[in-house]
Amino acid sequence: MEAVLSIKNLTKHFGRIKAVNNVSLEVKAGQVFGMLGPNGSGKTTTLGMLMGVVNPTAGEFTWFGEQPTHEIRKKIGAVLEHPIFYPYLSGQKNLELNAMIKQCPEANIPKVLELVELSERKDDKYRTYSLGMKQRLAIASALLNDPTVLILDEPTNGLDPMGIAEIRELIKKIAANGKTIILASHLLDEVQKVCTHFAVLKRGTLVHIGPVGDVGKGEETVEVSAEVENLNELLLAFAGTSSIDRENGSYHVVMREGFHSKDLNKFLFEKGVVASHLLTKKKTLEKQFIEILASS
Amino acid sequence: MLHLLKIDLKKMTSYRTFWVIGGLYFITLGLGAASGMEFLKWLARTFEDFGTNLNINRIPLYHFPDVWMNLIWCAGLLKIVLAVLIVISITNEYTYRTLRQNVIDGLSRAEFLLSKILTNVMLSAISVVMIFVIGLLTGMIYSPSLDWDKMITDTEFFPAYFLELFCFLSFALMLGILIQRAGLTIIILLLFPAIESIIAAKVDNYVPSLIPYFPMRSIWYLIPWPFPRYAFQEIQDYIKWGSVAIVVAWTVIFNYVSYLKLKRADI
Repeated sequence: MEAVLSIKNLTKHFGRIKAVNNVSLEVKAGQVFGMLGPNGSGKTTTLGMLMGVVNPTAGEFTWFGEQPTHEIRKKIGAVLEHPIFYPYLSGQKNLELNAMIKQCPEANIPKVLELVELSERKDDKYRTYSLGMKQRLAIASALLNDPTVLILDEPTNGLDPMGIAEIRELIKKIAANGKTIILASHLLDEVQKVCTHFAVLKRGTLVHIGPVGDVGKGEETVEVSAEVENLNELLLAFAGTSSIDRENGSYHVVMREGFHSKDLNKFLFEKGVVASHLLTKKKTLEKQFIEILASS
Repeated sequence: MLHLLKIDLKKMTSYRTFWVIGGLYFITLGLGAASGMEFLKWLARTFEDFGTNLNINRIPLYHFPDVWMNLIWCAGLLKIVLAVLIVISITNEYTYRTLRQNVIDGLSRAEFLLSKILTNVMLSAISVVMIFVIGLLTGMIYSPSLDWDKMITDTEFFPAYFLELFCFLSFALMLGILIQRAGLTIIILLLFPAIESIIAAKVDNYVPSLIPYFPMRSIWYLIPWPFPRYAFQEIQDYIKWGSVAIVVAWTVIFNYVSYLKLKRADI
């Protein structure tokens, strides 16, 4: 697959602070690429360098295999940190201005406004918009030039649950059209739901990169409870048990490779015990994320 | 080029402050320039109170070719208003962070600067045209004879006026880019001539030959003060090429500093 974005040893120092340190990665066409990391880990600085607003201290990157220029940026839709528009202009006029900068036809405006459901408020001044509307207008502006790559930095920041759900649906809709999306977010649940690949940054250093599909693989945890006294001993006797943990009245059994919850269920049944509660838990991105941060 | 100018005008033309300041500027320019005769009449009345007769018809304020230099010099005083407008326009881009978004959207930093410089050119050009029209009208009304030779005399003050405005607006743009905050920039813009003249007064004691090279001085003195000629004094009624060269040099420096600052900054 063709690399849309290729970063080599990208570094940014602000005085003595190493905001981004020697980051190298590739994003391929069609990926929905999640960038994770705690606050201040260098996500926005990295995206800022990719979009030409932060000058790198060292390293380089290419978009579509070419050296970055402002012409290439016109083909990328990006919202960094929070929506930025002229507050005294209406949504429509702001988009007209963006269309002029991106040199794309103004005929695209109604289409993107429709997509983010802002058509009715398009003639109101931007400063009268709610935060959710501002975020949606930012996405509309990013989509204006029908870009092949979309960069979204915390697109659901500060939104209410309804707003978050709306934006998530929107991202899914856009991803379904085969666009490459780079998504920086704290909301791991969200990244797990929409992303195909993810990278983790910690204090400016890249500590992990891989497909989201791999997260659920590996060991399973099974939550069990049953109305017997010696459940603990029984579970310890099970060949597939790697470790046990008691939490909220039920046992959390971490399984060995190759063993699954149905094996445990069968084992208990053979011992004459019927489980009143049996739940298979795959590892979440959240758990993996915390593990990655802790181990690096 | 035109495309970039259109982008900047799109930002400005829906901004109320732009129309308020711009409107005040052009109205003051128009009214001020056209009310010289009223001023002379007032002067004459005041003199009469002291028992002296002042024949205002002997002061050819609006006669060709005097009208050109008189109007242009007076209009030059108002350039500070236009400069405030430019400061607001550029510092808004920093406070709203729209400069950053413009670059993200695909404008290069040089293009962004060029769009602002082109607006400076346009505002300077409009001022020149406006003064030309007012000068032409009032000249035709008050001049005793419409002699072609007299009408085209001294029109070299127009390119000089354009240069004066454009250089000062370039200075305002540069201050805005360096300071990034409207209030502080406007204060420095207003205080700069005073600060410069204090420094100039010191320098004058040691190396007086440096004085003409000071930026504000070179701009403000490019077009000499015309009115002493009505008190039978000799004035410089032409533009010195040396002064033009100094102002052009400052214009280039101001815009180049803006460019360097924009290019190197993380925005």
